[in-house]
Order: sequence, then structure tokens, then C-alpha cells
Amino acid sequence: MALAMVTIGETRTITELRVKEEMKKHLQDLGFNVGERVRVVGENPSGLILLLNGARIALNRGLATKISVA
Amino acid sequence: MSYTVALAGNPNCGKTTLFNELTGSKQHVGNWPGVTVDKKEGAYKKNKEINVLDLPGTYSLSPYSAEEIIARDYIVKEKPDAVINIVDGASIERNLYLTVQVLETGIPTVIAMNMMDEVESRGDSIDCEKLSKIFGVPVVPIVARVGKGLEELMKVTGQVAAEKQKPNEIRIYEQNIEEAVEEIMDFLTEGSKDDRRWTAVKLLEGDEIILESLQPEQAKMVQEIVEKLDSQCQGDAEAAIADQRYRYIVQTVGEAVKKAHKGHAETGSSKLDKIMTNRVLALPIFALVMYLLFAATFSENFLFIPGLPSPGVWLAGIVETAWGALTGLVEGGLTAIGASDWALGLALSCMDGVGAVVGFLPLVLVLFLLLSFLEDSGYMARVAFVMDRIFRHFGLSGRSFIPLLMGFGCSVPALMASRTLENDKDRKITMMITPFMSCGAKLPIYMMFAVTMFADGNKTTIVFGIYMIGLLVAVLSAFLLGKIIKGNGVSNFIMELPSYRVPTLKSVLIHAWEKVKGFAVKAGTIIFGSTVLIWLLSNFNFGGMCDMEDSFLASIGNAIKVIFIPLGFADWRASVGIVTGWIAKENIVATFGQLFGGVSDEVVEAVSAGEQALPAITSVFTPAAAWAYMAFNLLCMPCFAAVGAIKREMGSWKWTLRTIGYQMVTAYVVAFIIYHLFGLFY
Repeated sequence: MALAMVTIGETRTITELRVKEEMKKHLQDLGFNVGERVRVVGENPSGLILLLNGARIALNRGLATKISVA
Repeated sequence: MSYTVALAGNPNCGKTTLFNELTGSKQHVGNWPGVTVDKKEGAYKKNKEINVLDLPGTYSLSPYSAEEIIARDYIVKEKPDAVINIVDGASIERNLYLTVQVLETGIPTVIAMNMMDEVESRGDSIDCEKLSKIFGVPVVPIVARVGKGLEELMKVTGQVAAEKQKPNEIRIYEQNIEEAVEEIMDFLTEGSKDDRRWTAVKLLEGDEIILESLQPEQAKMVQEIVEKLDSQCQGDAEAAIADQRYRYIVQTVGEAVKKAHKGHAETGSSKLDKIMTNRVLALPIFALVMYLLFAATFSENFLFIPGLPSPGVWLAGIVETAWGALTGLVEGGLTAIGASDWALGLALSCMDGVGAVVGFLPLVLVLFLLLSFLEDSGYMARVAFVMDRIFRHFGLSGRSFIPLLMGFGCSVPALMASRTLENDKDRKITMMITPFMSCGAKLPIYMMFAVTMFADGNKTTIVFGIYMIGLLVAVLSAFLLGKIIKGNGVSNFIMELPSYRVPTLKSVLIHAWEKVKGFAVKAGTIIFGSTVLIWLLSNFNFGGMCDMEDSFLASIGNAIKVIFIPLGFADWRASVGIVTGWIAKENIVATFGQLFGGVSDEVVEAVSAGEQALPAITSVFTPAAAWAYMAFNLLCMPCFAAVGAIKREMGSWKWTLRTIGYQMVTAYVVAFIIYHLFGLFY
């Protein structure tokens, strides 16, 4: 499923980054790697707030739809 | 023997704080990711032989951003004697990704394990000795914010640099990658073994900058090897290399770090974010914060309590009274020693001009203190996120919000902050509209008019109205420019939200002082210089000393004033004001002080008492023309310092001129509309 679909408070595992090369690199630098556990801790009209490796990251839903989790 | 030591680390790992602590230099400390965009150097304050260089904050050494390229070029090509890699112990996994890449270069390295207080307060522990054994480099626990552990860090760094102590060779890749690395190393001719290995790994990661630097036949062979490896790694060697680095990091962290609780803890930041980014509350909270910011700066009825001056207004009153007394002393002194009329005139004119600016310093100080507090607290990043959805309607990303907000302080750092915008079009538009955010130096202009022309009305409303005009024009401009400028608009928003921190008093003071100092220095130099020049130009013509109406300045002003007939202020003094405003916006007040000025201490007293400061202005400006004049100065070309910043950041004269052109036309059109529209009411 897409990360954008995850309910708040749930923790999932990243399975795929379906984005262009440059964005992929950027995501990896921020710690988005296949196998990494990510938790959705908040949402608002702009998008989601995630907890990843202890860091808080905000991203828009469009981008979150391109990150697959299981 | 002197050494150069480079600081490398992720954005928000405390690198800039460490740099400030080490060098004692008063550099900007912020919470915005990527605050350090320039190389900054300084001598270590306790041992001047160690020269510390601050590299931009980066998450990796890939060539995907300007920051990363600066950092890696420095480490690999300039080869500092040692690198201090600052690691945020509170999010150690992600920080170690850069560490591994730094170690791969083979450069002598010391790891500064920062935020150890946060780690401990979470109940976690990091075994620095164990990490040190694994990496083969010293690992020193520090708390940069309070300066803990820094002497030990620098002692160890000095030793590492002196002994050129290299880290352990890191062999973390699987067989097929290692083989490919060696294959490439075999035909690389330049550099040491470490350099060649690093280059080979980067080439396998698809590093185009390095690939382009190779001979064509070398490049061809490399591409073949990469393609072969790609096919072995499910088509993506780069991802495989990144994965294996992370695997190594996770394994290392497992050995050396004990976490009190598995999984993610609900931290204080989480709770605060629930409120600050709440879908309903976020915008009202932001509006309240903005109100407090401006009210504390220039409200005369602070917190709606009639007659209670805000901290800014209260301080300004004190400074103005003091300046008035000083002017009195200067006048008395000069008269007592029998100074000639013209010397007295020049001296008082300068006191007027500089005093007009000095009197507003407290307002600027309060504004900067509060903006610094917001920046350092971590709140700005939340606002950027919350505003993203709204900004998207105007074709901007929420990230643009931070430069724009900083623009209320000073356009120069605001324009520099626009560097953190990844999208080129987004960045250009942001830079073009940032000066529409009324900067601190423009505030005195509005206050002067508010006090003089609209003494009966609510001054806060007048000033706020002008700020609103700026905002409105900025929003419409973003929309319009978005349609005109070519290129793809913003697509995605992704940004780290730094933990909320109560900024240390020291950091906020340093931060604000840095900026206010700029204003104070300007008052003493540029503004003093231009007041002397304006005095000369306004008191002389080819025939020698003369009446102001016949002076050089009057001739110049009279020549250009026709342009402003449609805007309602076709006066030579107003025209001259606009021109001096390009040197520095607060200069306009200084110029008016001289050209419309009465006896100086009377003027100062009048301002303190909230009365008409420069009654002569009313004979030139109608209220509608005053609004048009304020709007024109708000929107037209910013000061030369800001134009310089635009040129540096745009990197092209073409875009700089386009920006100025756009601002000039906008200023003219808006001032025209305002003059004629307001003329209907006043």
C-alpha cells in the first residue's frame, strides 16, 4: 500500500520508492530506505508528518503516494 | 605548525553551534535545515594554530546539491588536515550515513558525538569507545549547545591532524561490488590509493561529475563496469551501495547504542506538533504569533491595553530622548567654542540624519530578536509545512515561506535563505517577491509618515496596512510570475522538522545582534556619509553656499520629479528621498530629516511625544500621496546590499535586471492605483 494511506499512529516498512532518480536520492539521504520502519505521527491539509530513524519529516501526500509500504 | 580542520555534518546536527563555540565568531545559528550555505572559517579561540572551517550541512557526499558538492570537493580535493564529523546522537542512524562516506575518503577524522544530553534524557546510551574501535577514529561525546566536551574534542583533533591518523579501511560491500571497485581502481591513474578507491565507489554510484572528468576511453570502460554491476544488483548498483552502507550502520548501531525503548517514543515534539500543525488550530496559532511579533515591535496599545507601549516603542522613546539630549550637547558645545554657522549647520544636519535612523534601532532590534527566536525554536519549519497547501495556490512551495518571513527582518539574509529551495522557478519567484516583504529598514519611513501625517489615526493600522499591501502584491506577483516564468513549478514538499528547542538566550542574542549591528554600522558609515553628501548638495551650488531651493540637490530632484507627477509626489525632496533610499532604505528618513527638518531637538522631542515630527511634510504630501510614496518605496528596487544579494543568488545579471525591472514597474503601478484610489476617500 502507499504510505499516504497509512493511518496515523501506525508503523510500516518501506518496500519501494517509486520516484525519479533525483528524488529517490534525496529520500534515501533523509533515511527512506527499503526495509526501514516508518511511522505516521501526524497529518494536516499540507500532508503527513513521519517519524523515521528518530527524525521528524514532513511531506506532501502526493509524494507519500509514491512510497510503498507493507 | 598550524592545521586546518573542517566541520562536516548533517543539517541541524548542531554544526553551526559548534563552529560558533569553537571560534567565538558570531555566526548565524538557526534551526532551518541547510542554514550554513557558505564556507566559513575562523581560528579556534583557545589555540589559534587550529583553523576551523565550517562546511555546508549535508546528508551525504553525493553530487546532488550545491552543498554536497562544496563539502565533498573540499574534503577530497583540498584535503584538510582533519575532519570533525558532527553526529547528532539523537538520530544517529541517519547521521552515520555521512560519517561512513567521510571515512571512505580516508581523511583523518574525529567524530563529535553531539546532543549527548538529549540521548541521555531519553534513557539511551552510546558507547563511544566501541564506535571508536569500529571506525578507527576518536569519538568524543559533546553537547555543543552548552560547550561541553569541546576542549577534549579539540585536543584529540590536534593529535589526529598532527599524526595524520587515518581511519580503518571500511570494507562493507559485497563481493561483486568490491570486485568492480578494484577493476575501476586499476585504470585510474591519478591520486593516492584512498582517492582512487573513493573515486571508484562514487563512479559505481553513478556520479556524473566524476565521470565527466575522466578521459573518454576511461569513461567508456567505467560505464561498462557499472552496467555489468547494475545487472547483478537488480538494475540499481547505486541503491545496492546505499543499502549496504545502511546495513553496516544498523549493525554498528546495534553494537554500540543501547536504546531505552524499542520503537519510536512520543517525544515532547510530537505533542507540540499535534497542536502546532493541527488542521484546525495551525492557522489561528500562526496568525496569533504574527500578531504578537508585530505588536511587540511597534504597537502603541500593546495587547490591546490602551496606552501601553510595546517593548519596541518603549525602547525607541528612551533612545530618542537620549539622542535629543546628545544633539543639545553637540549644539551647546559647538556654540561655546564659537563654531561657524556652516559647521554648526553641518553638525546638526548630521545629528538629524543619523538620529532619525538611530531612533528606530530599538524597533528593529525587537523585530530581529523575535524573528531569531522563531527561527531557532524550530517553529519556522512547521509553518513552512502548514503554509505549503496555501502557497501551492499561488504556485509556490511552503518552503518559500521562510525566506519571505525573514524578509520582514532584512532582505539580504532572506534572499540567501532562498537557496534552500530546490526548484529553480520557485526560487526565482521567491527572490523576486522577497523585497515586497517590508524590511526593518523601511519601518522608519512608515513611522515617520504615520506620526506626521496621520497623527490622529491609529499608527499601528497605518503600518499594518502597508505591510498588508506588500503581502498582497507579493501574492499576486507570485501568481503572475508563475504564469510568465518558464520551467516546472514545485512538485513535492519534503522537509525535516527539527525538534522544538527553547533557544538559548545567547544564541538568540547573538543572532539578533549580528543583524542589528549591521544597522548600527550602516547608521555610522553609509548613512553618516550620505547625510554629509546630502548636506553639501543641498546647501551649495556652483555659486557657493545657497538656499536649499537653489542647491545642486534641488536641481537633481527637480529634474527627476516629473516622473512622479502621476503618483502625487512631484517634489524634488521626495524624489531625492527615493534615490537615497536605494543606498539604504532608512536613509529616506535621514534625508527627510535634513530636507524638511526644523531644529533638531524639537523634532526628536516631537517624535517621542508622538506628535508631528516633520510638519513641513504636510505641505508637500496629501494623505493619498503619502500612501503612494510609502507603497512606492516599499515595492521599488531594494537597497544596493539586497540587489547584490539578488545578483549573487540569481547568478546572472539578466535575472537581476529582470527582477529590478519587475519591482520598479510594480511599484509605479501600485503607487499610481493607491494615489488615485485613496484620493477618492481623503
